[in-house]
Amino acid sequence: MADPANTPLGKMLLEEITPVVMVLCTPLVEQSCLKNGISLVQMLSPFCDFTNIDVPVRTSSDQPYRLHKFKLRLFYSTDVRQPNLEVAKERLKQVITQAGEKNFLESSEPSQVNDFLSRPESEILPSWFQFFNKELVRTLSFSDHEAFDHPVACLLVVSTKDDEPINRFVDLFNTNKLPSLLNDGAMDPKILKHYLLVHDNQDGPLDKATKLFAEMRNAFGQNDCQIICINSSPDGQFHHQNNPWELFKPDALPTENLGGFLNLDDLNEIKDSLQELSSKRIIPYMEQKIRVLNQQVSATRKGFRNQIKNLWWRKGKEDIVDTPNGPVYTFNSIESQIRILGDYAFMLGDYELALSNYRLISTDYKIDKAWMRYAGVQEMMGLTYFMLDQSRKEAEYCMENAFNTYLKLGSAGRRNATRCGLWWVEMLKTRDQIKEAATVYFRICGEDTLHSAVLLEQASFCYLLSKPPMLHKYGFHLVLSGDHYKKCDQIKHAIRTYRSAIPVYEGTTWSRIKDHVHFHIGQWYALLGMYDVAVSHMLEVLASTHQSKTTQELFLRDFLQIVQKTGRTFEVVKLQLPVINISSLKVIFEDHRTNASAEAASVRESVWRSLEEEIIPSLSTTRSNWLDLQSKLIPRKYKESNICVAGEAIKVDIEFKNPLQIPISVSSVSLMCELSANPEEDANSSNIEIQNNESKTSTSIGDINLSLILSEVDFSLEGGETTLVQLTVTPRIEGILNIVGVKWKLSSSVVGLCNFESNPVNRRVVKGRRKAKHSPSNDLKFLVIKSTPRLEGFIHSLPKKTYAGDLRPLVLELSNPSKFPVKNLKMKISNPRFLYAGNQKELNADFPACLKKMNAENSGGHTNGKKMSQNVFHFPEDISLQEETSLSWPLWFHAAVPGNIHLFITIYYETEGVSNIMKYRTLRMHYNLLVLPSLDVSFELSARPSRSQEFLLRMDVVNKTSSECFQVHQLSSVGQQWEISLLQPVDSILPSQSLFAGQSLSCFFKLKDRRMSSASEDSTLSLIQSDVRLGPQDSSEAPFDVSSSPLADFHDCERSSQGLSCQGYEYKADFIFITQLPKGNIDSGAPNTPLVFSHHACDCSLSSMSPISWVVDGPRTIQHNFSAPLCEVNLKMTITNTSDSVASVHINTFDSPSSNSQPMDDATASQPPENQAGWSAIPVVSDTKIITNDALATQSSKPLSLGSVPQFIWSGSSSTKLTLQPRLTTEIPLQICVFAPGVYDLSNYVLNWNLTPVDNKVNQEVNKSSGSCQGYPYNLTVLEST
Amino acid sequence: MTSTACFIIVSRNDIPIYEAEVGSAAKRADAAQLHQFILHAALDIVQDLAWTTSAMFLKAVDRFNDLVVSVYVTAGHTRFMLLHDSRNEDGIKSFFQEVHELYIKILLNPLYLPGSRITSSHFDTKVRALARKYL
Repeated sequence: MADPANTPLGKMLLEEITPVVMVLCTPLVEQSCLKNGISLVQMLSPFCDFTNIDVPVRTSSDQPYRLHKFKLRLFYSTDVRQPNLEVAKERLKQVITQAGEKNFLESSEPSQVNDFLSRPESEILPSWFQFFNKELVRTLSFSDHEAFDHPVACLLVVSTKDDEPINRFVDLFNTNKLPSLLNDGAMDPKILKHYLLVHDNQDGPLDKATKLFAEMRNAFGQNDCQIICINSSPDGQFHHQNNPWELFKPDALPTENLGGFLNLDDLNEIKDSLQELSSKRIIPYMEQKIRVLNQQVSATRKGFRNQIKNLWWRKGKEDIVDTPNGPVYTFNSIESQIRILGDYAFMLGDYELALSNYRLISTDYKIDKAWMRYAGVQEMMGLTYFMLDQSRKEAEYCMENAFNTYLKLGSAGRRNATRCGLWWVEMLKTRDQIKEAATVYFRICGEDTLHSAVLLEQASFCYLLSKPPMLHKYGFHLVLSGDHYKKCDQIKHAIRTYRSAIPVYEGTTWSRIKDHVHFHIGQWYALLGMYDVAVSHMLEVLASTHQSKTTQELFLRDFLQIVQKTGRTFEVVKLQLPVINISSLKVIFEDHRTNASAEAASVRESVWRSLEEEIIPSLSTTRSNWLDLQSKLIPRKYKESNICVAGEAIKVDIEFKNPLQIPISVSSVSLMCELSANPEEDANSSNIEIQNNESKTSTSIGDINLSLILSEVDFSLEGGETTLVQLTVTPRIEGILNIVGVKWKLSSSVVGLCNFESNPVNRRVVKGRRKAKHSPSNDLKFLVIKSTPRLEGFIHSLPKKTYAGDLRPLVLELSNPSKFPVKNLKMKISNPRFLYAGNQKELNADFPACLKKMNAENSGGHTNGKKMSQNVFHFPEDISLQEETSLSWPLWFHAAVPGNIHLFITIYYETEGVSNIMKYRTLRMHYNLLVLPSLDVSFELSARPSRSQEFLLRMDVVNKTSSECFQVHQLSSVGQQWEISLLQPVDSILPSQSLFAGQSLSCFFKLKDRRMSSASEDSTLSLIQSDVRLGPQDSSEAPFDVSSSPLADFHDCERSSQGLSCQGYEYKADFIFITQLPKGNIDSGAPNTPLVFSHHACDCSLSSMSPISWVVDGPRTIQHNFSAPLCEVNLKMTITNTSDSVASVHINTFDSPSSNSQPMDDATASQPPENQAGWSAIPVVSDTKIITNDALATQSSKPLSLGSVPQFIWSGSSSTKLTLQPRLTTEIPLQICVFAPGVYDLSNYVLNWNLTPVDNKVNQEVNKSSGSCQGYPYNLTVLEST
Repeated sequence: MTSTACFIIVSRNDIPIYEAEVGSAAKRADAAQLHQFILHAALDIVQDLAWTTSAMFLKAVDRFNDLVVSVYVTAGHTRFMLLHDSRNEDGIKSFFQEVHELYIKILLNPLYLPGSRITSSHFDTKVRALARKYL
């Protein structure tokens, strides 16, 4: 370590712990000095610091040593007392305030901490700290428990102008005026006196003065007197280089010429006299005093005997009053003398002597419980150890001990503790224990808020400078310091410290800390009136989601107040409130694709594209005309950009989110757009109009500007709420439109701007043609082209919600608001099962009467089937929409299946001669409707065993609605093939003719294949019989015509949607079940209108899909005389092959039914019957018991019960094989033998059949190419003939 | 139970990933940020201390007035920091050890990204219960 004297603490001690000279002077002396702008002490002080003297000193030891540095401190006698606390504080405050002003102006933006650290230490540490610390230490001078501030000598100064100067000298040392230290006995009043005569050269020649001086010498002694001349420079214009007084009069004005009347001779004289005073008078005096005191101390205290004595004597004093300052020690007491001895030795640099004396006295004080003095001595011991550069531990121990002792004394020792701490800190700093120094700084603060602030700031710098830097602590202490500054209204300091702390906390997620720092800086800047900076800091805390509601309110309120105080509207680029979800940005614009409604715009482009594929001109065919044309027209630069049409709005959807828990109000939300003229068209145009909306902030929604219309939206957001806002911009002239960003006003005071471009977030541009390749800037750039016609379309009274089966006419209305006609209209509907275009003549037809069969007209062949298959509806060629006209077109609607149904309709139209870029446009309509399940209709077809060409049709209907009551109307079979008739009258099944909610109905019908029976039946009758009316029988209403549009068309759709072609298997039938709802409540748009429901069932086929049908014919009752051995019965089996293939049939008869038939029954019973189109499992409804599965089970289990008594055998061949050509019938004879009378079931035979496919025709029933059938029950009664 | 206690988990990147005021004292408005300040400042000392010992529980590492910071450093250098005003070292140690177990369970969750904020409400409930038990 370096020489302790050269360390900062050493220098400080050599400066502060030096002999004090008390100055007493007459007013005239002072007057002379003040001519120079300085007082006497100020004049003399610069010359009291002797840095290059060489004085031999001999203290207690015999070895003299040389003193190279020495300093005297001069004080007026009036100042030799403890400084007034208030005044001292006031002075310190001034120091701090000045530093604050200075540093505040100088302070730059806080840089990174690392940059900060790279600078040298001296630059980091503010210089005023040193000054402050010195001042703080000086507030404690002249305390009575320490001796180093006690004046060593007294300098009596009298002017030559004074009357009777000799007497004046005597009068000056008048005890009444002396400081209390000398009077109250703390100090020896017998003090070294030195007499100085001051002559002002302006008052006259030196002669009189010399005479006086001689007198003086006689009176006070040769060596004790000196004379100096001042003010030798007559004009007072003498300029000193490195003016020595500047340091001692810091508050002097720069213009003031300090010491103007003092020339160099005067200065030398002063210098010489002071050096003489110190080296010839004071140092020898102190030497002598040390020697005397040392002898005295040695005599009384040193040695074993004295120690014992002292110990005993001290013990005896234990009952003394324990006052905080301990007993009073006068200058005569040995304790005071030891202390003086120590201090003098310290001042003369004899640290060994000082230390030994301090040690001696410290135990005494401890025993005496004179804590203040004890602490003072400990403090000095620590410093002495330091100066000796001996045991560090000891030094620190002493300092800590002193510090703690001072603290124990409470408020009285508080300030001493501060001084002690400062010295301690310096000591630690010298030894590079900077971290510890910081903790000491922290410990000494607390006495005074302002001082604490400065000390804390110093502590923070200690942490910064420690190796490695402790940045977290640095930040924390800066903030603490800032808080203290704020409490003392040192706002500039507070801001400075907080700002220094920002780099520490930057980028961390310790959110509360960040909020605290920024919020307070903002507040304080606002207090200073620097609102701009305040706002920028407040912005940081606005979106603090983690804070409590009240804090958020506070932040927002303060922020708005500050903004209001600025008196102008702020434009903030990164306003966090509300949060904009850039990824939610959605741009909806219309080029040749137009949308009828917002819903249509939200549908994926691919859906539309697949729908439009057929109707828009394909690229390959049009490349030669319009695309080439386009590339010529549109500058290459903008070819990538989107196209929009002047006068048509571009919609931008964007999401705003309130991150706070408190409501915020947002107003004037609008887009920021730039519209510039097309640079190709007029290259030299300068009319780039930037709609920065500066002029529009005060205007209302939809303000019309020349070229752009921007919508403005106001809304308020509750805490945590998210809202989607649609903003529009409508260009009115051609050019290039660029959507730059969005702006809004928060609480009608702050304007927030959000630039779309600057945020590198993927945007979803709905209609970008080549999204992936586009740069984002192009997505928001539009080529605005001339206004072209745009059709508007609407479907009237399309229900939002309906029941399945609903059939109704609708009207599509197209209107053209522009001046130009459009033509060549085409329409495509995504889901023809639900909607298709009708004929124009149906427009005004009466519904539902138009569906009924007309008597006069046979409309059987009239369907739109061809049109439907293409799915594209061409409007008649002659229709073109003229200016401001509208076209109505009928549509048929049928709710085919329940569910959430999306209907997409696209209408293509062409415009002529308006724009070269856009020749055609499409109108896209999207409707979404909810179809609720209504009736569940299922059919089951089963062959009648007795009749080969007749079938039993069972219809199960369940009303699945919760409240509706359907009126059953009719059941029709589609086509000419089937003849349908009721098995029993309707009244017996359903007397009310209506199905209530939840009710189910089972009906049986007889179905006859007309082709088979057409030869025998009347053909005119059959036409009517394809319908069965289930409604009121007496009504004269005509049944609905299922063979004409729209029912037939919808039926075709049903078929095609189920993947079935029109030609099918023979025994398949299609049915349409029609009901009515007299008062439909489902459609809120048109309540109480009767609704027609049609339910379509396609391809109902036989449940046991056998292409082979047979009938066993024979006698039912036979009388036989069983006296004859056996009874033979002849039967005839008629087998028909109904398929188109050759069938080989194998008939097996067996006598024991139990063995052979059993496995087969199991199979049929356990597996659900295959291929029963139109049939579905019906949940058990309480009042119906008829379940198909039950019926099957009973049927198949029947032969088992009877089979237990086989009383007959099959005679004839037990196995017959035959081949049947397609659609042929053959007969086989069968014979049985009966042995006893009884009732016999002749069902124990099996038909195995095998189909051979015909070559040229792919059979649909490939999977059913073989099978076996159980025989029908055939009961034969054999009676005993009598 | 202590009157003031603030528990915070700091990831190895000095980011707080879990915060809980577990004291029984009535909350003051500025208490939360003061606690954060103290705990944040203590990170420096933890940094120094963590490498000097093999123990995970570092005991009381820092103090501010009457508030003490106790720290527990996991093997992954995640720091559990507890600001408290009581002297119950054993309880604090047990508290840390049990929280460590909970934290490991959080880490085992494949959906949890180490170093990200712990949002599990189950964890929160458990930590508060432990605080009631030990502190």
